[in-house]
Amino acid sequence: MILDVLGVIVLVCLGYLLLTNVVYVALVAVAAVENGVRRHETASQDYDVLAKSRFTIPVSVIVAAYDEEPAIVSTVESLLALDYPEHEVIVVNDGSNDGTMDRLRDAFDLEPYEVFVRHVFTTESVRAIYRSSEHPNLVVIDKVNGGKADALNAGLNVARFRYICGVDADTVFDRKALLKGMRLVVQDPTRIIGVTSHLTIAEDPERSMAAPQGKRPIDRSPFMAYQHLDYLRAFFNNRLAWSKLGFMLCSVGAFQIWRRDVLEEVGGYSRTFTCEDIELTFRVHERFLRDGRDYEIHCLPDNVGTTEGPDTIPKLVAQRERWQRVIDETVWHYRGMWFNPRYRNVGLLGVPFYLVTEVLAPAVEVLAIVSLPIAIALGVFDPMVFGVMIAAIAFLNAALTACAILLDDLQSRTYRPRDLLRLLLLAPLDLVLYRPIIVWARLKGSWRFLRGDKAWHKFERNVRAEA
Amino acid sequence: MRASSDDDERVNALVLRVAVVVLALALPAWILLSLIVVLGRARYERARRQSAEKALRPRESERLIRRVSRNPRTEWGRWRRVAALTRLEQAHHPSVSGLIRPVLNDADPRIAAAAIRTLGDIGDEWAIDLLISALRVGSSPRSRVAAELERLAPSPGPKLPQLLRDLDPAVRFWGATLLGPYPDLGEPSLIALTWDPDPNVRAAAVETLGSRSGDAVGTAIRASLEDSEWFVRVHAARAAGRVLGADAAPTITRLLADERWWVRTAAKDALRGLGTEAVPSLLSVLAHDDTFARNGAAEVLQDVGFVDFLALDDPSSPLLARIYAAGGEKLREAAEVRVDGIVVEGVRAA
Repeated sequence: MILDVLGVIVLVCLGYLLLTNVVYVALVAVAAVENGVRRHETASQDYDVLAKSRFTIPVSVIVAAYDEEPAIVSTVESLLALDYPEHEVIVVNDGSNDGTMDRLRDAFDLEPYEVFVRHVFTTESVRAIYRSSEHPNLVVIDKVNGGKADALNAGLNVARFRYICGVDADTVFDRKALLKGMRLVVQDPTRIIGVTSHLTIAEDPERSMAAPQGKRPIDRSPFMAYQHLDYLRAFFNNRLAWSKLGFMLCSVGAFQIWRRDVLEEVGGYSRTFTCEDIELTFRVHERFLRDGRDYEIHCLPDNVGTTEGPDTIPKLVAQRERWQRVIDETVWHYRGMWFNPRYRNVGLLGVPFYLVTEVLAPAVEVLAIVSLPIAIALGVFDPMVFGVMIAAIAFLNAALTACAILLDDLQSRTYRPRDLLRLLLLAPLDLVLYRPIIVWARLKGSWRFLRGDKAWHKFERNVRAEA
Repeated sequence: MRASSDDDERVNALVLRVAVVVLALALPAWILLSLIVVLGRARYERARRQSAEKALRPRESERLIRRVSRNPRTEWGRWRRVAALTRLEQAHHPSVSGLIRPVLNDADPRIAAAAIRTLGDIGDEWAIDLLISALRVGSSPRSRVAAELERLAPSPGPKLPQLLRDLDPAVRFWGATLLGPYPDLGEPSLIALTWDPDPNVRAAAVETLGSRSGDAVGTAIRASLEDSEWFVRVHAARAAGRVLGADAAPTITRLLADERWWVRTAAKDALRGLGTEAVPSLLSVLAHDDTFARNGAAEVLQDVGFVDFLALDDPSSPLLARIYAAGGEKLREAAEVRVDGIVVEGVRAA
């Protein structure tokens, strides 16, 4: 009886694996078409005209910063240096315990000013608002800690422009990041209400972004390279396809452009979830589809910046378990959308995709991890067959990864050819060297979701090279 | 008891078959894709070294012309058409003028926008006429057309005033907006448009008049400060500050108590722009019934440096106390932090 059950479990796990990979292959095909279209679109875009035109829509960039002392100055400098006709940078110091505020004060010559703002969103109290004597478009809000969502809402209260770009404080941006993000919006601001774009990852984003296009290095450590591959797969193989299919369900926190009236209408960023980005995207879809309104949310393949990746396994686990938790929280909260035709592709494809590939994945992974060794030990499953299966999955994974590398290189030609080759060679080993860490993090995240844990568990920042 | 080890063998055989098929597909796919990445990049680097301006070979230009002349049904095909058109334009091929119209009329606004950019690159009289006609028709994003026309300034200038008389309010709007960099053109028509039935047109006319001067312009802007639409008042407040200067300060100050937040914000911006000339008007609303007006006045007095001046000169001055009462405790605290440690001799005399 037990052995029969084991056999069934093994088949269920393999069936799941097959199903998800068939879906991934289909998504890659859609993503390849979308990437090609966007590539042509980018080639026909004149960023110089967009950068000088007074008809390019102004943007308020909001940076939520909590204990970001090592990174905050370089992030704000990269935002102030953005090539854009009119933008303001609003940094919200969310009650940091380290020297974030002092670094900002020293670097940008800040002075306190009283600014009377619209209190559209209720937030933790604001201690002071600072302006820079050097940069008229920089505003710094110093407030009592209330979490990232609360900080972004405080920034929204101060923001002056019609479009908002929420960014992370540990990311260094390309000079054309806003132009790249807004290029679609300026063509159709009534329909395009949200945009996100491709970000890369590095141990030290500032150093990585300092290299010119085409010669940018990828971190030597395989650990960072695997995270880089993970990002490539997420953006190019998944989000591009979701965007094309009309269910872009994750506008990433590190770079998310929203029309402000949409944020005001849906109630701003929510404090009741572990992270704010995925939930907000779900909420906007839910509201607009429920009301039957015409809208678009897109993910673009253009590289807009480099974000800091964890440089140790415990830091990575802390980050990924949080991501898993917020996915679980969000998909469960919006269970009314599951397979609901009222929500069109979002309800019929997008949310079920999340449910199967993200929420249920840890459960299947546990089943596989427990049952496969037992099945081998009890002779139900032949070790040779197991070996061939692992090799098949590893190379399928590697082929999908190679697709992501190809789509990225076709779009941006950012990295050195020798680094691309290294990534391609690392890809088949992803399954055994990197994936187990992610599986562990996802299990931990699911467990914490079931326990109702909503803490952020922020990972400690990497040590950066002196400028 | 279990049925038999036959079941296990069937499971193993099934898994093995699936795994072998997957491996047989995935391994060559990985190798092939890796080669495409590496060789594709090498080819790109080689092509990059050749100038885009390089003259086209006859066969290549024929191929590109054929591609642009076709009417592809797929999105991908339409973008390839745009790419071919761009390549022909980069090589200054004479056929571009004849080929661009169908692309400009493409139902997909993004495709049409690509053609607009090409017209901007061409930039001659013929291209300007086509851009203005695209602005009238409106099948492509008008903001993109406007950006290209503005890039080509001053050449399109004389052709713009005719847009102010168009029946379509969107065309009148863009006509009024685009006249911004041409202070000598279309002034009477712009003044007339401050009474246009369409509020967007009124707002655009007021915004453009804000970069001009003269009594007639001043009168039109002053009247627009009372417009029924809030966004017209926003533009009027900003324009009044620039055109009328300190004379408009009392009128703009009244807008600090406007029912709409964005009008009050625009009034604050305009008053800030007037600097210390706005101070007498601002002081007169420190005891206004409306909280926003009081707050706004105190904030602008802070921003133009008047609060710091008083705080340095005479921290116990009753006037400063009135400003603090209007602006609240945080305004006082911020001022004290700003002036802390500053010692300025003879401020009072200044």
